[in-house]
Amino acid sequence: MDQIEQRDPELHAALEKTWYSPTGFPEWFSEVNNRPLGVRFMVTAFAFFLISGALTILMRIQLIVPNNEFMSPQTFNQLFTMHGSTMMYLFAVPFLEGLALYMLPQMIGSRDVAYPRLTALGYWCYLFGGMVFYASFLVGEVPDAGWFAYTPLSGRDYSGLGLDFWALGLALVEIAGIVAGVEILVTVLKFRCPGMTLGRMPPFAWAMLVVGVMSLFAFTTLLVATLLLELDRAAGTHFYNPNRGGSSLLWQHLFWFFGHPEVYIVFLPATGVVSAIVTTFSRRLLGYLLIVMGMIVMGFVSFGLWVHHMYATGLPELSMHFFAAASLMVAIASAVQIFAWIATLWGRKPPMNAPMLYTIGFVVIFVLGGMTGVMVAVVPFDWQVHDTYFIVAHLHYVLIGGVVFPVMAGLYYWLPKMTGRMLNPTLGHLSFWLTFVGFNMTFFLMHVMGLLGMPRRVYTYPAELELEFHNQLATVGTFVLAAGFLVFVWDFFRSLRHGELAGPDPWGGDTVEWTTESPPPTYGFYGSPIVRSRHPLWHSGPVPGGEEFAELAAAEVLGGPIPFRATMATDIITGKPQSIQYLPGPSYVSLYVAGGIVLSLVAILMQLYLVSIAGLVVAVGGLFYWLYPRQEVIEMLRNSEVGRRAGLPIITTGTRSTAWWGAVCLLIILGTSLAAMLYAYFYIQLYSEQWPQGNIPLPDLAIPGVICALLVLSSATFCWANRSFRLGKPMAIQAGLTTTLLFGTIFTIVQTYLIAQIPFSHQENAYASLFYLLSGYIWLQVLVGVVLLAVAQIRIWKEHCDREGFMKLHMQVTGLYWHFSVVAGVIVYAALHLLPHVI
Amino acid sequence: MRGRMMSDAVQKRWGKALARWRGGGRSRAVAWVAGSFVVLLALLVTGCQGDRVQSSLHPAGPAAQTIATLWWVLLAVCGIYTVGTFALFFYAIFRPKQEESPQKTGNTFIMVGGVILPFFVLLGLLIYSVQATTNLRAPDTELTIRVVGYRFWWHVEYPDYGIVDANELYIPVGQPVRLELKSADVIHSFWVPQLAGKMDMFPDVDTELWIQADREGVYRGQCAEFCGVQHAKMAFEVIALPPKDFAAWVAEKQQSRPDQESEVFKQGHEVFMRHGCAGCHAIRDTNAVARAGPDLTLMGNRRMLGAATVKNTRENMRDWLENPNRVKPGVLMPPTEEISEEEIEALVDYMLSLK
Repeated sequence: MDQIEQRDPELHAALEKTWYSPTGFPEWFSEVNNRPLGVRFMVTAFAFFLISGALTILMRIQLIVPNNEFMSPQTFNQLFTMHGSTMMYLFAVPFLEGLALYMLPQMIGSRDVAYPRLTALGYWCYLFGGMVFYASFLVGEVPDAGWFAYTPLSGRDYSGLGLDFWALGLALVEIAGIVAGVEILVTVLKFRCPGMTLGRMPPFAWAMLVVGVMSLFAFTTLLVATLLLELDRAAGTHFYNPNRGGSSLLWQHLFWFFGHPEVYIVFLPATGVVSAIVTTFSRRLLGYLLIVMGMIVMGFVSFGLWVHHMYATGLPELSMHFFAAASLMVAIASAVQIFAWIATLWGRKPPMNAPMLYTIGFVVIFVLGGMTGVMVAVVPFDWQVHDTYFIVAHLHYVLIGGVVFPVMAGLYYWLPKMTGRMLNPTLGHLSFWLTFVGFNMTFFLMHVMGLLGMPRRVYTYPAELELEFHNQLATVGTFVLAAGFLVFVWDFFRSLRHGELAGPDPWGGDTVEWTTESPPPTYGFYGSPIVRSRHPLWHSGPVPGGEEFAELAAAEVLGGPIPFRATMATDIITGKPQSIQYLPGPSYVSLYVAGGIVLSLVAILMQLYLVSIAGLVVAVGGLFYWLYPRQEVIEMLRNSEVGRRAGLPIITTGTRSTAWWGAVCLLIILGTSLAAMLYAYFYIQLYSEQWPQGNIPLPDLAIPGVICALLVLSSATFCWANRSFRLGKPMAIQAGLTTTLLFGTIFTIVQTYLIAQIPFSHQENAYASLFYLLSGYIWLQVLVGVVLLAVAQIRIWKEHCDREGFMKLHMQVTGLYWHFSVVAGVIVYAALHLLPHVI
Repeated sequence: MRGRMMSDAVQKRWGKALARWRGGGRSRAVAWVAGSFVVLLALLVTGCQGDRVQSSLHPAGPAAQTIATLWWVLLAVCGIYTVGTFALFFYAIFRPKQEESPQKTGNTFIMVGGVILPFFVLLGLLIYSVQATTNLRAPDTELTIRVVGYRFWWHVEYPDYGIVDANELYIPVGQPVRLELKSADVIHSFWVPQLAGKMDMFPDVDTELWIQADREGVYRGQCAEFCGVQHAKMAFEVIALPPKDFAAWVAEKQQSRPDQESEVFKQGHEVFMRHGCAGCHAIRDTNAVARAGPDLTLMGNRRMLGAATVKNTRENMRDWLENPNRVKPGVLMPPTEEISEEEIEALVDYMLSLK
């Protein structure tokens, strides 16, 4: 692994043909390759970044003198709402997702990510979500309740149509966030090149692995929270309506349960970028294990910090101390990384180029932001500075210092790989100094402004606060900061045509992305790189033994002409080759599904509920088409020679299959959304004087109990069917599946009847809304399960002999979903029907 | 070609400066950056000079004092850690080139600087935080004031004395006062930095806060939770009086009611009723009893108008009554329509007479 790959023209042409990246209209919309989509993510996100930056300049002009009348309070509120929402939802997360989609497969030696069409779906959802956000400007109803949209202010009584744009646009962006999480998680686990054990992964890949897991939990929670908000607004439910038994604080819990991890979802990849840069320019990395442990701890603990955004809400002292302890201790996870970089850089005389300068700027700014983070974790201090400019300063030190500076460093570092051209070093220095100085001018004195009494989110301030000078310096600083970013943009466009050619490895990097030409070919790597050490380009590692020759052979086969898109799938821990993974080519199905979802949500905005349902049908139909196994693909893979030549299977099941991992991720998402809904249910119950609220009678036990028991039985019958499948008894399989299907269908029909017969309306009070929500959720969950069972039964009728192939996988995935549905059904029955009788 | 030239031009323009930075100028650059931080720190300290109306660094009561002390301790501890980290970081980068240092030394360094040392520092801060929180528990209080946040003003009630006011809290110096906080609509937050930290106000949950002023004076406060269009101008004042004066104030205000026999009342109240003011406002002992807007029984007594937006002068009052939106855009009070010159004068007189 110590030499740059040489191009073989014939082979190159063959691979290009398989992995082609469609151009022209409408083919452009069928793109599924990870690198073009990564670029689209990054370009779109950076455009949003610049738009959002322009909004801040307007806001800073308004604040330049006290009692300024440059803009109305309404406009100011709209601008800061759009600024925060854009930066958090449309820039930071999507940009880093884009960077990961592009770079991650390159760094771990894979040809693409695990689910190419899902990548495209994520991109379309993200793009449409951003467009919905900004479409609010066209109708003059811009969201104005802040990026955090606290209820009841964001409810239908106090906010107009703008908030519907916000909630629905956000829902789309959250879908993009969730699918990116799945994508990244499975890619890091399954698609590392042979020999790349977990311990040889670059820190960036570790960061993305943690982020992938976090995204599933965090974005799903936010998705549920925003859907409940939109239900309150559009359907008249009362989850967040304090006048009808809902809770005004519930939103804050759900929002910050997402909101705090989100900070780490964007910060962790940034530290991964910094580790990569520091490693390259120090030509070593010390404290790898500690860095990785720091990342994992950060990922876990970040879910236990959300209350530190709520110190001023009058929570019990003890719980605040608990969260204060967690908030203070999470600083250690960051400190470890900082000290690991210091140790790595010690006496290595790194070159002072743009990536390194931005890295230094990151450390300086982020350490300051981290220190103020420690300060605000101290409960009484936060009572003073919470919701003041001190927090504005803190969060910008953390997010600009901790995310934007590393992103800039990463761009200067990896753009030569992506475009094949070097950026101008002089302009790089200029851009760095402008951003660094401008940033500190803008934000440093904001600490003081907060301490001296300037609250956040105010469009003006009285002269007697005597904060004119501070504000003026900040306003001037904003222009300097903006100039720094514009210099970068100029440099970027300049370099595309006039930059020096970068060659494969301009920095002498250590990871495998530097082995390909720049920009990398559409297929990424010829075959599959093989990694024997943590820095494969510097140390080739131990001499290959017998087992490794097998890996070499497999990689070689992958490097030859293959009639379909394929990459190597390896063991999630050891990185031993397990199979050749087939990947689908260009497809419009992602755009079709995303279009259906958008149609459905936009129709809600216009209150065209029938159109909304039509959109949903389009999306579900598209998904069905997408997921339904293609017979021609199955036949092609069954008959392919490639597997035999490589000595690896092409058709896999269980933990070897990406489909299985995808199903597991889906269950995590469904489980998290159920947990979020149950949290809402129990939270509101806890703060209610009586349960059920109002004059609603206790729920029925008998009929729901019987159908729940049927559901449990169906789990057993499915197991029976599965066992018969393994033993090869076609009639028993059919009997087992038919019984399961029958039980499931009875459950669905009876549940439909029960929901139709509920003696109160969902608009009665919060309890009623929750009752409908959970009953409806489990109904939908089982309904989808019944459809999956029916599909499995139809397919197994013909394919019952395929005991080790696709049918086995199909049964596994169906089983995972069905058993999960049964567990969910039991939990919902217990929470909704049983517990109110007990407590 | 053009680009090559442009690059050359850039090189020419900036190259010299750059060369200076690089050749020996690097340490100067560091000194320059460090120097600017010192300047900014100095500015930070200058913020503490002088008289400020809404500053947490100018405490006037025990609760705010505890937190201000806490801030200076935090600044010292975090400051030392920051300076130490920066020193190590820049030394690491700029120190002369060194042969391989063993992995083991590196790991020890990371463990000590990044885990063990911060652990004990943070543990110390946590203990301090818990103690400060405990010290800030509410003491026994005699006086309770009920404050209800409305968009975008404050309803203030003294349940023990039967006084209802708005946007002003009168408290006796040297005595802790318990505040019962609640919101009438969205979430607000009650914050007087010179007296205490902030506490949110909810429509569905009761919260509490205690404040105490140790000096006579006027302390400005402001809503600290974004509550809609005029969040910025939802302010109030806390007026701390010596206990004797406070008792006198209470005795006087308990008796406050308009003199229904006076000419000012007869004319003014008639205009008040005709223009629908009573749809939102209340004045004690009259037929105006609505609670959607501030109680006006003590209107003439208030120092400020529009929730501490402008001074309560005759002129400002007139402007406000004509069109409050000019003074405070987005305020929920509608402009008084089709009001004659005479009527508005009568109304202003009436408002200012309510003491």
